Amino acid sequence: MPSIEIDGVEFEVAEGRTVLQAIDDLGLLMNGVDIPHYCWHPKLSIDGSCRLCQVEIEGLPKLQIACNTPVRDGMVIRTNSESVESARRAVMELLLINHPLDCPICDQAGECKLQDYAFEYGAEAARTVEPRRPAKKGVRLGPTIVFDQERCILCRRCVRFCREVPGTGELGVFERGDESLLEVFPGAELDNPYSMNVADICPVGALTTADFRFKIRVWFLDDEESVCNQCANGCNLWASRSNNRVYRYLPRRNDAVNDTWICDHGRLSYRTISEGRLEKPRIRGKLASYAEALGEASRLLRTALDADGGVAGVASPFAANEDLFVLRELLAALGAAPAAFAVPMGEADDLLIKAEKAPNAAGARALGFRESREALAAVSVAIAFGHELAVDAFAAVDDLILIDTHDSPLVKQASVVLPARSFAEKAGTFTNFARRVQRFRPVVEPSFEAYAEGRIVQEIARGAGIAGFEAGYDAAAVSAALSESVPAFAGISLLSLDDRGRELR
Amino acid sequence: MITEPQVTGYLSEHYAEDAYRTLAGYEAKGGFAGLRKALRMEPDEVTETVKSSGLRGRGGAGFGAGLKWSFMPRAAEPMKVIVCNADESEPGSFKDRLILERGVFQALEGILIGAWAMGARKTFIYVRGEYAHGADVLERAVDELRNNGYLGRSCFRKRGFHHEVVVHRGAGAYICGEETGLLESLEGKKGQPRNKPPFPAQYGAFGLPTTVNNVETFAHVPFILDRGVDWFRSFGTEKSPGTTLFGVSGHVEKPGLFEFPLGVPLADLLEHAGGVRGGRPLKGIMPGGMSMPILPPSDLDVPMADESLSERGSRLGTGGVMVMDNTTCMVRVACIIAHFFRDESCGQCTQCREGTGWIYRICRRLEEGRGVAADLELLDAVPKMMEGQTICGFADAAAWPIQGLMRHFHGDFEAHVRERKCPFPESFEL
Repeated sequence: MPSIEIDGVEFEVAEGRTVLQAIDDLGLLMNGVDIPHYCWHPKLSIDGSCRLCQVEIEGLPKLQIACNTPVRDGMVIRTNSESVESARRAVMELLLINHPLDCPICDQAGECKLQDYAFEYGAEAARTVEPRRPAKKGVRLGPTIVFDQERCILCRRCVRFCREVPGTGELGVFERGDESLLEVFPGAELDNPYSMNVADICPVGALTTADFRFKIRVWFLDDEESVCNQCANGCNLWASRSNNRVYRYLPRRNDAVNDTWICDHGRLSYRTISEGRLEKPRIRGKLASYAEALGEASRLLRTALDADGGVAGVASPFAANEDLFVLRELLAALGAAPAAFAVPMGEADDLLIKAEKAPNAAGARALGFRESREALAAVSVAIAFGHELAVDAFAAVDDLILIDTHDSPLVKQASVVLPARSFAEKAGTFTNFARRVQRFRPVVEPSFEAYAEGRIVQEIARGAGIAGFEAGYDAAAVSAALSESVPAFAGISLLSLDDRGRELR
Repeated sequence: MITEPQVTGYLSEHYAEDAYRTLAGYEAKGGFAGLRKALRMEPDEVTETVKSSGLRGRGGAGFGAGLKWSFMPRAAEPMKVIVCNADESEPGSFKDRLILERGVFQALEGILIGAWAMGARKTFIYVRGEYAHGADVLERAVDELRNNGYLGRSCFRKRGFHHEVVVHRGAGAYICGEETGLLESLEGKKGQPRNKPPFPAQYGAFGLPTTVNNVETFAHVPFILDRGVDWFRSFGTEKSPGTTLFGVSGHVEKPGLFEFPLGVPLADLLEHAGGVRGGRPLKGIMPGGMSMPILPPSDLDVPMADESLSERGSRLGTGGVMVMDNTTCMVRVACIIAHFFRDESCGQCTQCREGTGWIYRICRRLEEGRGVAADLELLDAVPKMMEGQTICGFADAAAWPIQGLMRHFHGDFEAHVRERKCPFPESFEL
């Protein structure tokens, strides 16, 4: 492994990488080793055009761009010499010649690399006197993206993204010199399943999403670690929250899962946290208090057990591993068959989007649940998570206890309805298609009374006087118990996982 | 504008003869003797010969041609490629045009020698789009070679020596003369220089190992092989052997091309071009195309070779000598230069894209009498922000001539600020 020295500190780096890549591999780029850059992106080809990442390399007469300079054993690099700093000041001054200083009305303000670096390296006053180049304002490039052309600094990240990731290539830089303009190709629209990633990688406020634009100032947002629940890929997310509301999802980098991308469908699914929710507990169609509904569920279960009428479980691939585990434990305690579950299916591609449109089908399988869409056998009570099974699948069930996050036709069919917390409202883990277990954290509190499915099952079982369910519910404790009792989960629990997840054994 | 070369050297000796443009006529004057000799040598020996001749690339950068050939990988696979750069676009330079039109087989023979030396299977000749006549002559010449078994499989009946030549016409962008900008354009993409590494010898045209040489560079090669390294080195200087075709233009009595050994004093060139028009006093000379800094009259004694011009703060470039008499407004010259580079910058690198426009706007307002003293400081500062910082040499080419004008003719710039107008009423119009 080559060893390079940066500002007096030695780093062991991988062979065959460029300086910027090598620092990024170590997780230190802009996180210990500051080499500002615009056009370089870890998941795109090297462009080498913004020239901001120039560094001094001992033995070379000119500054070199860190993004395209291969590491060599013994290389000595300086990122803070006078010549480097003056090159950065020059790039910043030149970029600002044609960039409007409209930060107060720009949606990127607060997370803008031009703003950040101008603060660090920019001049206090402009030395240019001519007006800035006029360009388009607020035009739609397609259904998802709004373009403020005058802010574009021509780093071409978006151009490379469209060519290299979805492979759609809608964007290009047209004309030459300081008349260069980013545009969609004539007759084309920026319209692909991953289009909104261009807004994330745009270092300035040129590309913004129509969805998030002007909704809130970013400095009012906190980002919480989460995982997308729209398909089996389990793309890692940041959920941006303010005032107990999620305003957007951003991709959270995980090179083993989604690199730095998410699909547009997943990105917009933050809306499902608040839309279409099942909010009110019910008993046989009538509104009830949560305690009443829980009590009724316990009574139905107790009665069924006493009458030996049979109990069935239905799991959901949207439920977390921890919630599924509690259901599994209850069914096992009752001597009932493992729960059935069904996975909604849809389109897939070879990038991120998987055909299984749920985040935890692999978790349900690993916990021994069986996939089935068939109607349930005649039983007194069925406890069901979610609504993947059709209404008539429950025709032979006397009493359905439905524990769900979202409204569905099943609500009318159920004897007891208990609103559950969505994944954004609790801690837990999902197991993705590649059997990688990934944690998610509570982002918001529900505006109505709701609990994790596991807790609800626990409460019902305790109310029904079933042994082993006396203790109160605690997600971390359940996760630890799961890790201990299911061999595939050995060593994997809410507390032991890091933000990158780990594969099942 | 182009007249026949005024001074004979080995390159242009027969350029006046129409027959020299036919294969038979070329061979009658000793053509293809160099290639025949090369084919009796081992490929590496040929490269060594070119290397020891000291032939420097004639496209402007002056890089050692043999050294460049030696960068090519030895393995037969992947296929190796030669690119002949005939996209001559440097303002003040028109020598390659003459070679295409009058000495086309010299270049083609040089290409075939290079193909043997480097084991290249294919050559792309990228011709400047405006050189329609030159491209026609070239295409006819390539056809003639192919029809006579000089191209294709087993060229010259030499077993294992296969070569094909493709003539490609450019669409008229200066940056497509930069070797990697040329490669992008050749591949059908926007002409934008590539980052190095990888260098063309590893990843060139269509990703294949590639050597790019200028037309004139190839044209010298047959003479080196035929007449020997010592003979070649009897022309020119130690560091810059051989002759070159100097294009002299501007305020001279007899503009044209002049073949001289490298190192000829600038004053001799000027004299052969008939001196400054009307016997006027000389004001300045750009010695190597528009990208190279201007020299004052006191530098007329400079030998026209890269090493000696470097000592005077300029470069040989493409050997396009532009002469300006005392009517010339150097701020207008700056405007023309800045306009050209602003227009031709590909726009990739920040410094070049934004800097060329900034320089142009400063020059323009100085010329129009709207400049202030601070603009002179800017005209000093902005080129410094650009040079040596970009993917290709274009930003240097845009910065250096401005720096040269500021260095030697600062008074012209000051006068524009002081008088709030251009004080050179007799100068050429913008």
